[in-house]
Amino acid sequence: MPRIGVFVCHCGLNIAATVDIAKVIDRVSQHPAVAHAEDYIFMCSDPGQLLVQGKIQELGLDGLVMANCSPTLHERTFRNAAALVGLNPYLVEIANIREAVSWPHMKEPERATEKAIEIILATVEKVRQNTELHTIKVPVTHSVMIIGGGVAGIQAALDCADAGLEVHLVERTSSIGGMMASLSETFPTLDCPQCILTPKMTQAGKHPNIRIHAYSEIEEVSGFVGNFQAKVRHKATYIDWSKCTGCGVCMTVCPTKKIPSEYNHGMANRTAAYIPFPQAVPNRAVIDDKNCLWLLKGKCGICAKKCPAEAIHYEDNTEIEELEIGAIIVATGMEVLPVEHFGEYGLGKIPDVVTGIQFERLLAPSGPTAGKVQRPSDGTEPKEIAFLQCIGSRDPANYKPYCSKVCCMYTGKQAMLYKHAVHDGQAFVFYIDIRSDGKGYEEFIQRAMEEEKVLYIRGKVSKVFEDEGKIVVWGTDTLTGKWIELRVDMVVLATAAVASSGVNELASKLRITTDEHGWLKEAHLKLQPVETLTAGIYLAGAAQFVKDISDTVAQASGAAAKAIALLSKDHLERVPIIACVDQDLCVGCGYCETFCAYGAIAVDPVTGKAEVNEGLCEGCGGCAAHCPSGAATLTNYGKKQVFDMITTFTNGQVVQ
Amino acid sequence: MTDKDRKGEGKAAAGDDFEPVIVGFFCNWCTASAADLAGTSRMQYPPNVRPIRVMCTGSVDTSFVLRALLEGADGVMVGGCHPGDCHYVTGNYRARRRLTGVIKILEALALDPERFRFEWISASEGAKFVKVVTEFTEDIKRMGPSPLKGL
Amino acid sequence: METIPYFPGCTCKADALPFEVSAKAVMRELDIEMREWERWTCCGTVYSMTTDDLIHQLGPARNLIRVQEEGSDRVVTICSMCYSTLKLSAMMFDADEEKLQKLNDFLYDEVDYEGGIRVMHILELLRDDVGFEAVKERVVRPLEGLRVAPYYGCTLVRPTEAGIDDREEPRVMHDLLEALGAEVVDSPFKVECCGSYETVDRPEMVAEKCHRILSDAIKRGADLVVTSCPLCEFNLDDRQDVISSIAPRFPGIPVLYFTSLMAIAFDLPEEEWGLESATVDPLPVLQEKVLAPKDEGGG
Repeated sequence: MPRIGVFVCHCGLNIAATVDIAKVIDRVSQHPAVAHAEDYIFMCSDPGQLLVQGKIQELGLDGLVMANCSPTLHERTFRNAAALVGLNPYLVEIANIREAVSWPHMKEPERATEKAIEIILATVEKVRQNTELHTIKVPVTHSVMIIGGGVAGIQAALDCADAGLEVHLVERTSSIGGMMASLSETFPTLDCPQCILTPKMTQAGKHPNIRIHAYSEIEEVSGFVGNFQAKVRHKATYIDWSKCTGCGVCMTVCPTKKIPSEYNHGMANRTAAYIPFPQAVPNRAVIDDKNCLWLLKGKCGICAKKCPAEAIHYEDNTEIEELEIGAIIVATGMEVLPVEHFGEYGLGKIPDVVTGIQFERLLAPSGPTAGKVQRPSDGTEPKEIAFLQCIGSRDPANYKPYCSKVCCMYTGKQAMLYKHAVHDGQAFVFYIDIRSDGKGYEEFIQRAMEEEKVLYIRGKVSKVFEDEGKIVVWGTDTLTGKWIELRVDMVVLATAAVASSGVNELASKLRITTDEHGWLKEAHLKLQPVETLTAGIYLAGAAQFVKDISDTVAQASGAAAKAIALLSKDHLERVPIIACVDQDLCVGCGYCETFCAYGAIAVDPVTGKAEVNEGLCEGCGGCAAHCPSGAATLTNYGKKQVFDMITTFTNGQVVQ
Repeated sequence: MTDKDRKGEGKAAAGDDFEPVIVGFFCNWCTASAADLAGTSRMQYPPNVRPIRVMCTGSVDTSFVLRALLEGADGVMVGGCHPGDCHYVTGNYRARRRLTGVIKILEALALDPERFRFEWISASEGAKFVKVVTEFTEDIKRMGPSPLKGL
Repeated sequence: METIPYFPGCTCKADALPFEVSAKAVMRELDIEMREWERWTCCGTVYSMTTDDLIHQLGPARNLIRVQEEGSDRVVTICSMCYSTLKLSAMMFDADEEKLQKLNDFLYDEVDYEGGIRVMHILELLRDDVGFEAVKERVVRPLEGLRVAPYYGCTLVRPTEAGIDDREEPRVMHDLLEALGAEVVDSPFKVECCGSYETVDRPEMVAEKCHRILSDAIKRGADLVVTSCPLCEFNLDDRQDVISSIAPRFPGIPVLYFTSLMAIAFDLPEEEWGLESATVDPLPVLQEKVLAPKDEGGG
């Protein structure tokens, strides 16, 4: 007969005021498997724990039921206490009689007491059938894969690489840099990305521990924390990067010149053979096979003739590389809502209505106009510009319910930079609320309003249309209650930020989740904002939600710290509550395989029996419920254990 | 008086003093946390539900539900994560599909399928937990004791 | 020939009768018979947004029951307002079983409404069932050189969930007019409010709104404006006398139903053109641009 000890906590009066502790002790003691039952005012206190430890040793208890608060609070406390005196921690179970009994049933003490007794007895039935378990040790690979080469990915890569980890930085375009590389200057200090981002890009490009996989995408990820296997697709560049010197001759000779440049967000064109921007890392050219005349029609071929390095050969050089990875950081960033929305603001129809990120290119010294502000339609200098905030943000009926967070600041910055470029220009900003809640942010906005004389109008715009060469803006000023019609030369829309395209497909390859808007989901919004629910996969930057550069870099370093901590040991320890298969009962039907979301259980082709991969199993118990022959079980959640708990509840006690 | 006698007494007769026995299987990551939250917030609900914490509703075997009902439980409730929120990716979907079959079996046993309830209750929905448990208890009271009781 | 139950509504039997005449004629030419049933009642006119105001749904509901009796799962309207009222009502009963039950309990003298009737506007039918390619094939007198500004108004595209097209940048009439060979004039005011029922109490306000809409179309070179709503037509066309009183230099512009242009392009007999409702005479511009024999036609 097992010797179970039951310890009932009063939790001051939290439990004892409702539950009749004496009655509980009396009834529980009558159970044949209970060798000892005792109560104490605060079982989690040091004297409480000493009391339990003493009884384990004194009475040789081989299982404990701790009747107290929820297991989320003190399960670990009592398991550790038991382990210290030699009782296997997995022989300790919690019977929750506080959150589940004394608190929600304060007005019914008698029935609460009955419920507490039954919960304790059911837990006794479970624990007497528990087996001793030991932490599972899994070896780890000391490398990190970072998906996305924007400022978040670059920062995380540098941090991990400096800590001695091998880093694979995977970027789907041909250069790292991300959205930040396209910006003109950055708020609130007005540094240009060439000054602050380019050095980091170069550093990442030259770091001995970082390998940049540019123009590459994730094909497949399998494995588990500490031991992922990733297949990375190096997309066809049609240029041998081992020979390419980045001289740019192919760009100057390529005759296909009218392709909207992704880097310039359509504000300028690029060629079919191209390097996206001068500071690109790696500084290598690619040929865009959707536009190259040779690849499409077999005509042209001029770049191959002119390339001094003889790097061009028009063959599909797609390559799939397999990598062994210990941890993954997802830093896929954000985009703005596509142009096909916003008919009411004329976007996509009126050339002088542009998005915020497009206007960045018109302000940038590295942009198509070399920093001169010009209307896309006719190249004239706009004398009046209306900036419209919250376009598609904070608009649950039509677009996105959330605040896109960075628009107030970058609109203020853009209005300011416009005024610096066009001294006699007038900038109008339509806003709902100004959200400037960062260090130096409010001061920055005040400067735009007071020193730069940007005119802020509180209200939303209903319609933007073109009329005789001017752009008409209809809106309201909600402070005066007046209807406003402005005739301006340009309109800049602060369009809603959205998650990067393709992130949903990537998330399902990684077995992580996205929210309804496509933002990657963190394990806990406040307390685990960097982790995902899949162990070993972390989030950095705007992939999780819109972030400005400061927050992005902070979170990237946070994600890197998590990855570094994870990979700081040679082995990982995992909770041993996982599935196991009774080899005698298993018929090898493979039904369990179809259930498991982790690929952790599979029929061995040699033995014909299902086997569990200890490293992969997350311990959900789904296979056990699914197994037709009853061979699969979740350790310490066996069918007989649950049956006996049920019987306790329906019949009061299990008849032995 | 043995436990069995005591229980039998309370449960034999229908009517105002009938207190149903309800077994609840609650997912560790959501509904069990919602129950904790309800408790911490001192929300009050009838004590009829006897909770069993499971790692995932996907681990709730059909036989768990049937066993409880065959042994005389008046109702069985399963609480899991909302669609798309499963801690184990798809366990809750699998559970729903599997446990929908329970309803057919209950019909074959001439048991009211309303004695079985499957609910999505997230960790933050303490109030929903209370509402569901309260309503379910009242529904079962209205249905009266399980006809399988005492068989 | 395919038949589809057709709901006329009040205006299309009175002021807007020519709209119905031309609509039925052009659909006949496209092998669709719009068949009006015997006991149609008022559509309800304005969809009641009040959630507990189920009594206002009896009008549309009775009509949906009639469609069900006709053995059809869809119904076509030509008036935008009727379309919107019936559509929203049908959507509400499809989405809310409790309301459907309540309705059926109340209408005990009727057979139960089962839901699932698709309410369509004639433009939807033309776009999705007939197809503008088929319309183009039927054209014998292309409207070449005629500059037409389509005006959509509100209820055809709003609210979004019941609209037949994008609420800000609708295309359906643009595409239809292009199929007829006309040159489309795109005005930013194509979905701007015409003033609607305010026309009864505040004709000056309506005139002001319509003035803006029409002036913009004129400024962008339109010869005429087409619409799909009898109330829009009334405000844009009949209220031009009020516009002239507040803006004496307003030159005026004809306003037609789009079906009239279809009938002309299909070369149907004049009595099926449905021009009688036009207050501002469209014939001069039609004569000049379309009806006069073309040079290269041997005339």
